[in-house]
Amino acid sequence: MNKVHIIGGAQTDFERNWTKEGKNLVALLKEVLKDGLDDAGISFDDVRMLNEKNKVGCFVGNFIAEQYVNQGHLGAFLTEVSPAFYGVPSARYEAACASSSVALDAAITKIKAGEYDLAIVVGWELMKTVDSKIGGDILGRAAYYEKEGRGIDFPFPKLFGRLADEILNKYKIEEGRFMDALAMISVKNYSNAKNNPLAQTRKWFMNFEQAKNRGTSTNSIVGGRLAVSDCSQVTDGAAVVVLASEQYANSIKKGTPIVKGYGHRVAPLLFEKKILESQNSPYILPWTRQAVLDAYKTSGLEVKDIDVFETHDCFTSSEYAAVSAFGISKPGEEYQAIETGITSMLGSKPINPSGGLIGCGHPVGASGARMFLDIYKQVAGKAGKYQVNNANNGMMLNIGGSATTNYVFIVGNP
Amino acid sequence: MNNKLNISKVAVVGANGTMGANISAIFASFGDAKVYLISRDMEKSRNAVIKAYKSVRSDGIIKNLIPAEYSDLEKYVSDADLVFESVSEELELKKDITTRIGKCAKKGSIICSGTSGLSVTTLAECLPTELKTNYFGVHMFNPPYAMTLCEFIPTKYSDNTKAVLLKNYLTDVLRRTVVETKDSPAFLGNRIGFQFINQALIFAEQYKDQGGIDFIDAILGPFSGRAMPPIVTADFVGLDVHKAIVNNVYNNTNDYNKETFLCPAYVDSLISENKLGRKVGCGLYKSEIDDSGNKRRMVYDIKNGYYRDVIKFAFPFADNMKEQIKNGDYYQAFETLINSNSIESNLCLNFLLEYIIYSLITAQEVGYSVHDADEVMATGFNWCPPLALLDALAEVQNPKLLFSKIVDKQVLKKINLEKLILDIEPSKYDYRKFFKSGR
Repeated sequence: MNKVHIIGGAQTDFERNWTKEGKNLVALLKEVLKDGLDDAGISFDDVRMLNEKNKVGCFVGNFIAEQYVNQGHLGAFLTEVSPAFYGVPSARYEAACASSSVALDAAITKIKAGEYDLAIVVGWELMKTVDSKIGGDILGRAAYYEKEGRGIDFPFPKLFGRLADEILNKYKIEEGRFMDALAMISVKNYSNAKNNPLAQTRKWFMNFEQAKNRGTSTNSIVGGRLAVSDCSQVTDGAAVVVLASEQYANSIKKGTPIVKGYGHRVAPLLFEKKILESQNSPYILPWTRQAVLDAYKTSGLEVKDIDVFETHDCFTSSEYAAVSAFGISKPGEEYQAIETGITSMLGSKPINPSGGLIGCGHPVGASGARMFLDIYKQVAGKAGKYQVNNANNGMMLNIGGSATTNYVFIVGNP
Repeated sequence: MNNKLNISKVAVVGANGTMGANISAIFASFGDAKVYLISRDMEKSRNAVIKAYKSVRSDGIIKNLIPAEYSDLEKYVSDADLVFESVSEELELKKDITTRIGKCAKKGSIICSGTSGLSVTTLAECLPTELKTNYFGVHMFNPPYAMTLCEFIPTKYSDNTKAVLLKNYLTDVLRRTVVETKDSPAFLGNRIGFQFINQALIFAEQYKDQGGIDFIDAILGPFSGRAMPPIVTADFVGLDVHKAIVNNVYNNTNDYNKETFLCPAYVDSLISENKLGRKVGCGLYKSEIDDSGNKRRMVYDIKNGYYRDVIKFAFPFADNMKEQIKNGDYYQAFETLINSNSIESNLCLNFLLEYIIYSLITAQEVGYSVHDADEVMATGFNWCPPLALLDALAEVQNPKLLFSKIVDKQVLKKINLEKLILDIEPSKYDYRKFFKSGR
């Protein structure tokens, strides 16, 4: 199998509202592709030349543009970005909020197999085209819509609120301590986002007092025990990752990071069934844990080798469950790792230095590519003010639905 | 000496104003300081507390917000590590309050004025010697939660160490974009921004036969690199405030652009009729509900002296630019702007080029770096900053050629264009997000 190198990428400024700017999806794609290719040192002429030999492909991650912007057939949209993409194989990949991880997986596979020298992965979502209630309903299609979404206001906050309930049930943790740990996750991610110049919440205020007082006028309850401060954001944005074969990568720059491992597992779609199935497992989300184990196995690495994590904190309860899934703590003892600051920026196992989905933002179809880009930036020493010192290997977990699709990648220096 | 300022108590004097309340919130949230919100009566201060916590969307800070009134000013000011004066922009009033603060502020405390352009040095002189060293202008923009700009103005009396400590506090703790400026009327952001706005008002009068106000605003809309057109902005700010700012600059500065700070007569007469803008529901624009219940957007017609419906001007250059920006074709949009050669497109281009020139010249006079103008316009006005705008235009045409072709010869005669362009560096800002389509 061939090695897969990461030679660059870019994300848009997640603070931007593309509807307010009056710009369409083509404008979004043009910007992020230009920036991503510039960062990788690739020109549109390079794409043309590779395409003559059928050695380049594009992989588009998007959840549900049909609903947000009335558009399908998204792989074909790169031809609107530049004529350089005429004839380039390109398709859209979908797995709810893990859409761009599937796109990454497909791209990685093509390079591993030696079929392409260059793979351009772009994940995107424009979510601010609708109000929050309609947006919540659209996102309900990431669950079993007929049973878990239809007619329910904000189905996902409710599902992840239930995850919080089930964690309490399973591990018999003291409720106050657990809820405070969730508040600490929120505060950490908002605080990390302050160092990320492209984070949606970089100017926003959050502190422990605000995050732990749920059910107030500025921190209303959104699902079960969870409040606004426990939620990720509604975001417009895109992220590009440029992957290359070893030979092609070396022709551009030496020593670029490589993909070291991956895991992909799909859990039962219905939340109810997930929880039923997990009763005999020490983990609340056993298939999430399994995807992590698969990534460790395929990379030959262990948790001690991972210097930085990006996880799918669509809600604080999902980051909470990720702590043990990564192997940072035993299942049921996540709160201890959180309380002692192990997962904070200066801790031994920092999670979400970018700010994550809560701090950096969550354009659903872009999030997988954005996380991948961030662990690449970390190991390449390009993360600027949110750089983790001496990061050599990074792991990301991207989930779709209520932890239904679970995608894990490990990126590291060769 | 400690290398960090320890600010645990803040007194905001004049806390009931929009800026006073919003600034109180910044200290109480990011600064986690206990803030005394002092205004004329408790009712106003209690309302200010509500305004404050809402402005940062956090009732977690309510415990930090303590309403107070002027009769207790001495008690609270003497307890504060930092006193922030935010009373209305009248020199005599500010001098009186500053004198009163000077009599009771504790030794070593920091005293700031939130003035948007009065002389900080003059205000410093109201204080006793030992407090003069700790006095600074700290000018934030509205609303500070969204606009991070904070102009920082030391005076000749200021202690250098204290200045560095306060700047670090504003940057690292309050998370402001701090730009140090000289103590010059309106400082940097408002000098550049209100020159542009006032020039738009002047041009509206010159083009009153073509439509005037809405004609000029249609030429300088969001597609030209700003969130709202300049004359709408004046209406939003308030015509009285606008006039105070431009008068202050006109009376106390003397640069090549001085005449563009003269407030036009029609604005004066609107002010005299109390048509002050959005805050009173009527100014350069107004909205009415017609008989069928529809909102009717109206504009003051300078030529005829009455309000009429806003005209939906359709200029080919503007329509093309909007379409190109919508699709992310920025290069083509600037090509359209430069090559259209219509009266309207050249007016737009001329405004943008003169904005670049005036920004660069003013940054030299009032700021300390060519990038200062970029910082203030991006983070205080949300306009495409001048260097970023130049980057965008320069992709299409050599800037020197462009300036010589478009800008008024009278202006070019007064400046050293050659030297000005020589010093130019690329902007740290990305121009793309500032150019908007629609409306």
